[in-house]
Amino acid sequence: MRIQVNARNRGYDFDALPGERVLYAGLRAGIDLPYECATGTCGTCKAKLVSGRVRDRWPGAPGRKYVKPQAGEFLMCQGEAEEALTLEVSSFVYPLEPGACVPQSCSGTMRNVRALTHDVTAFALDLERPRDFDAGQFVLLAPEGIDGYRAYSMCNYARGGRSLDFVVKRKAGGAFSEWLFGANRDGARLDAFGPLGKATFEPGLGKNLLCIAGGSGLAGMMSILARAEAANYFERHQGWVFFGVRTMRDAFFLDELSNFKNNNLDITVALSEEDVPRTNEWPKLRFEQGLVHEVAKRAMAGRYQNVRAYVAGPPPAVDAAIRVLLLDAKLTTDNIRYDKFS
Amino acid sequence: MAKRMVCRVADVPENSLKECEAEGGLKLVVANAGGEFIGFQAVCPHQDVPLCEGLFDGQTLTCHMHLWQWDVRSGAPLGIAEAPLQRYPLAREGDALYLGGESTALDVGELFNGLNSSTLEKLATLAKRESHPSGALLYRPGDPAEDFFVLDAGRIEFLVGRGDRAAPGGFMLRKGEVFGWAALLEGTPARIASARCLEDSSVLRINGRAALGVLEGDPAAGFTVMRRLAALIARYLASSGAR
Repeated sequence: MRIQVNARNRGYDFDALPGERVLYAGLRAGIDLPYECATGTCGTCKAKLVSGRVRDRWPGAPGRKYVKPQAGEFLMCQGEAEEALTLEVSSFVYPLEPGACVPQSCSGTMRNVRALTHDVTAFALDLERPRDFDAGQFVLLAPEGIDGYRAYSMCNYARGGRSLDFVVKRKAGGAFSEWLFGANRDGARLDAFGPLGKATFEPGLGKNLLCIAGGSGLAGMMSILARAEAANYFERHQGWVFFGVRTMRDAFFLDELSNFKNNNLDITVALSEEDVPRTNEWPKLRFEQGLVHEVAKRAMAGRYQNVRAYVAGPPPAVDAAIRVLLLDAKLTTDNIRYDKFS
Repeated sequence: MAKRMVCRVADVPENSLKECEAEGGLKLVVANAGGEFIGFQAVCPHQDVPLCEGLFDGQTLTCHMHLWQWDVRSGAPLGIAEAPLQRYPLAREGDALYLGGESTALDVGELFNGLNSSTLEKLATLAKRESHPSGALLYRPGDPAEDFFVLDAGRIEFLVGRGDRAAPGGFMLRKGEVFGWAALLEGTPARIASARCLEDSSVLRINGRAALGVLEGDPAAGFTVMRRLAALIARYLASSGAR
């Protein structure tokens, strides 16, 4: 199916496979169409239909509140071409930069499924073919043959890796998490699309790193820390990690975080709903009471020189952290990278 | 026209924002930037997000949705923002704010906003206002590029190439956007695209050579315009990694 997108600066042509969402077809063709969540929530991938027919695969998507259907607007991440399409996107659109990891469809097998807490599960996805991704990126996952992707950040980092590590927080009513927590899924097959996301880290950045994560938003930070450690990044730069959870019962990866700790990397666990534990089983980590953005704000005052910040977690936590980074830290927007998953 | 009240001064405390509806029905946001009141469009030029929900530190406004930013005093985009804020001049009388005169396409234009007023006036005298119906063709490939255009209202689409080999070359939809800027380059370039109105549109047509003459008389303004023109051209050449 031929799709033509007219963006503010130029036009693009690409083909979509039967059943393929317009956004994924364009990204697969190396066109950096606008998106943030890529799964129907944020509304960023809004486009306007000029000609042709689009089937909306998820009319109840939360992101629909940002579109005006009577004006022909729809979400490219949920729209499927029923015939050749001409679309209009009201922002500047560029080709993916040379060397970027171009997203593709792939599939894999779940291994090493294990509970990290009462409501967080980790697993690895063994891929048929090695894939490249940047530290901090995410992929879309769905059980094979079941429609409707969810976005999950990789926790590991490896160029040309054949295995992607994930953590999933149980969410009532969430199709993927209900499926995952509903039975033992070791050996199950998943469809994946990716890598996606611009909250990425490369050691050439040359800035001090500030990572603020709420709950399973820690996933992408683990990938960034793995990438940084492999490049001895913290020999030359400072790093601060703030990991927010409600209680100690909700915390995970504390051993792995302890392993990252070094002289130039401080790691703090912020507990929003209970006091700091009286005995510290993880002496390399600091524990503080409070919401993660408030804990980060207190600890970071006066330390924002040459800082790049990464933020991930539930939307209210991300918004609160961004507010601190803009208004208190006075960081420029290109130094605030975030993923908001709801 | 009757004075159109926007709000009371006391409604907008220092370094805060408020969405208001002016008498006669224009929605706008009023910012109090350290005691100076500035009016601008109510929704983000990016994705229809209410700007009154944005973050404001008394000088810089950030839309919370995708972190587009502006200097509220000039309306100039900062950081990753791709478009300026459309501003509405406000006049204060006693304890109330009223809508002032509307800014022209030249005043808000991406190349010219903020230039000194005598230079802007000279440019304004060169500008011919034209109205074109939907479908009208302003130029086609091969035409000499003598004039450039500032969009006032409507929508212009570009097609690069000739005949059935023509490919979409983007579109313009915001007041103050400049197209046909080849007319500001050296030599006598020819058009490489066609420009067609997608709606009834009004534009300012300005002769490139005459405009360069005005800018030569005010080198500081000329430097600003050339810097912005370079940024504008670079935006069309950039790749996504530039973000």
